[in-house]
Amino acid sequence: MTAQDITKLIVRTSMGDRGAFDLLYRQTSAKLFGVCLRILGDRAEAEEALQEVFVKIWTKADRFAVSDLSPISWLAAIARNHAIDRIRARRQPSVDIDAALDVADPTPGPEAAAVASGESERIHVCLDELDKDRAAAVRGAYLKGESYAELAERHGVPLNTMRTWLRRSLMKLRECLER
Amino acid sequence: MSPADDNSPDTGGDDILAAEYVVGVLPADERREAAARIERDQGFARLVDSWEVRLSPLGASYPEVAAPAAVKTAIDRRLFAAPAPAPARASLWSSLAFWRSLAAAAAAVAVAIALAYFVAPPSDQSPQRYVASLAPQQSDVHYFVVYDARTQDIGLSHVTGARPEGRDFELWVMEQGKDPVSLGVIPVGQSVHLAVAQAFRERIAAGAVFAISLEPPGGSPTGQPTGPVVASGDLHNV
Repeated sequence: MTAQDITKLIVRTSMGDRGAFDLLYRQTSAKLFGVCLRILGDRAEAEEALQEVFVKIWTKADRFAVSDLSPISWLAAIARNHAIDRIRARRQPSVDIDAALDVADPTPGPEAAAVASGESERIHVCLDELDKDRAAAVRGAYLKGESYAELAERHGVPLNTMRTWLRRSLMKLRECLER
Repeated sequence: MSPADDNSPDTGGDDILAAEYVVGVLPADERREAAARIERDQGFARLVDSWEVRLSPLGASYPEVAAPAAVKTAIDRRLFAAPAPAPARASLWSSLAFWRSLAAAAAAVAVAIALAYFVAPPSDQSPQRYVASLAPQQSDVHYFVVYDARTQDIGLSHVTGARPEGRDFELWVMEQGKDPVSLGVIPVGQSVHLAVAQAFRERIAAGAVFAISLEPPGGSPTGQPTGPVVASGDLHNV
């Protein structure tokens, strides 16, 4: 299914077309479930989040018109933001560093991700211009929805230092992408 | 105030806040505030969208995982189990002629204003620009609309009429014998823009009717207008 096909389905969904909505679900739910699962790390919670994500898609499909995102990225952004809202709303987790380190990280390494994303490798080139641990912080935050507090703990730096680090990294990233 | 000052990593700034929101690192309260701002501040919403675009290639590495069938069943139950609320003014909506008559008076005004707005001669022979004055319908809501067919951009100037607390204005295009098509929720602001999806391009031409309805926050939940029409008007070539 091409980006244009998905765009049509989103537009038809915004007009209240249930058939289009069903097809949109069939075509994109696996990707969006992958997003929820990766961020929430819990199957039952990810299933519930996916429900809420598609309810949002049904009610807010018309907003796609004002975004510059590709259709699948627009859908993924709804899923990502919703999943991140959910983990932020959880009670502050008692971060167990040992347990956290034991969890296998199924995210492909930067190289694999660069290959997978094909034409979009520019972001990876720009991330590689950052210090290794800062690039890892940006990737970790984006893909897993880690908070400043979690990043600071993992990198062993004070929260404010982490915040300054990440902000500077993001500004450098923007500069590189706009070069 | 240069962008560098405004967005220094140490003091923060809108662009940095947008980036932090998109990356997802903000604590719950700051994240909620940023999300609320996206809803009411179009400039900030655009900064957020730009960051979503910049970082979206990272999302390519999310794996696809099939969701259990029960999820779709639950979604359908949540969305469609209760009968959809009937459009409050179905009869009005179906009567294009009714609006045409209401809009006719506003047309002359629209053209006069348009001429005042665009003193520059058109660069192309084919009609590319359209205007409409969306005149109040049992309300004090008045918008002036300019549609540029080349860039598929609708510019809306808010003339009068505040939106009620907790409600949104939604813009629709009407065509005889067809369901209204939503062009989106009108962002808050004096002078705002809506992008027109490629699929709707053909629907917007001289003679089409634009209408604004009052809807729940975020727009009509049904894909069709549910609230009263507060303003409408015919589209004219410039």
